[in-house]
Amino acid sequence: MSEPFEPKIVAFVCTYCTYAGADLAGTSRMKYASNVRIVRLPCTGRISPMFILKALQKGADGVLVSGCHPGDCHFAQGNYHARRRWTVFRALLAFTGIPEERIKFSWISAAEGAKFTELINGITGQIRTLGPFEQYQELQKVIETQSTY
Amino acid sequence: MGIQEQYRKEAAELLSSGEVKLVIGYGEGSTAERRRPVFVRSAEYVSRLVLDGSCVANLSSYLVPEGLLSDGKKVAVFLKPDGIRSINILAAESQLDPEQVVILGFDIEGGQAAPLPGRKASDFTALIGSLKSAGLSPELQKDADRLEQMSASERFGYWKEQFSKCIKCYACRQVCPMCYCRRCIVDVNQPQWINTSSHTLGNFEWNIIRAFHLAGRCVSCGGCDRSCPVNIPLRLINHRMAKEALDTFGHYAGESAEQQPVLATFRQEDPETFIL
Repeated sequence: MSEPFEPKIVAFVCTYCTYAGADLAGTSRMKYASNVRIVRLPCTGRISPMFILKALQKGADGVLVSGCHPGDCHFAQGNYHARRRWTVFRALLAFTGIPEERIKFSWISAAEGAKFTELINGITGQIRTLGPFEQYQELQKVIETQSTY
Repeated sequence: MGIQEQYRKEAAELLSSGEVKLVIGYGEGSTAERRRPVFVRSAEYVSRLVLDGSCVANLSSYLVPEGLLSDGKKVAVFLKPDGIRSINILAAESQLDPEQVVILGFDIEGGQAAPLPGRKASDFTALIGSLKSAGLSPELQKDADRLEQMSASERFGYWKEQFSKCIKCYACRQVCPMCYCRRCIVDVNQPQWINTSSHTLGNFEWNIIRAFHLAGRCVSCGGCDRSCPVNIPLRLINHRMAKEALDTFGHYAGESAEQQPVLATFRQEDPETFIL
């Protein structure tokens, strides 16, 4: 227990806005927490709730889902559809007791490198205080120790 | 003439006139209170049809199998209001043509079957509208409220206990009129999204994803609850999803055959308070 807890955060981002925003943060030499692993997808409309569950199952302590601001979607409507889906999915997570504070949603445009940096640092700090997502990880451990595959 | 004789006579007329090729109804089950689906193709067998207060199953799920309606002929089916809503959803999702479904509508009031006037799904629009304004089941809401008063970790514990019982028999999927995918996500193994062995984590994922896929589509017929061999309160999760769709988007599943599915549409002014 000598090493401090470093959370693993998976960020599902759309390639046209948030990924470009992250790129801007990089080219502007802004520093942000290295706990985040970015997964680039064509659109937030492509992000299935399965992705979020799978990330948590495979050991993520937090998940960020981020895309274009409403009205800015490259595919015109993808983020509107995604927003409805997240609303329902969040209610489902809350009802089944999966902590909502580990799953964050945001709009970050290609020009918001600074917002991306702040958000990543903020989320990493919050998840670090929350600690590891043991509820799920314990269940995963049961699988790994009991089954042969 | 009781309702059972009346509906047997109607079924016989529909079959002998050639208006429908098949009547899907209820028949005697393995015990006195149980009913099982009966498929009648000829007027001489209508005496096998039973209609009473025990006929609770939503028979609309028998309309979806591939090829049944592809010849363009009509099928008559015994449906309660929840089943009629299912027909509307299936029509809205292009799974069937509502013109091909002749509805023998009834409702159960005080343990007795009572007839509902109308033959086509569109004849019941006013009835479904009144159901919408009456709101979702208060009994289920009471259970949902009780759960929502718990802390998140208590709720997780509750569902962990419930889902740990799941044996992944998929009876909930098989009975559900909304689960018509030819290849269910749980059967997809490249990539394998959901663990198929029945350990608690895989059970969690399966039940969460099924509830998500039913969000704004479930009509609360209770088929999953009745078919679950280990008594997981599946209907309760689906009720919570229906409540979310109704409260947030004003969506009541199966109002009409033209209703857009709640997650296939959007409004620009949809709430987004949770988005950073």
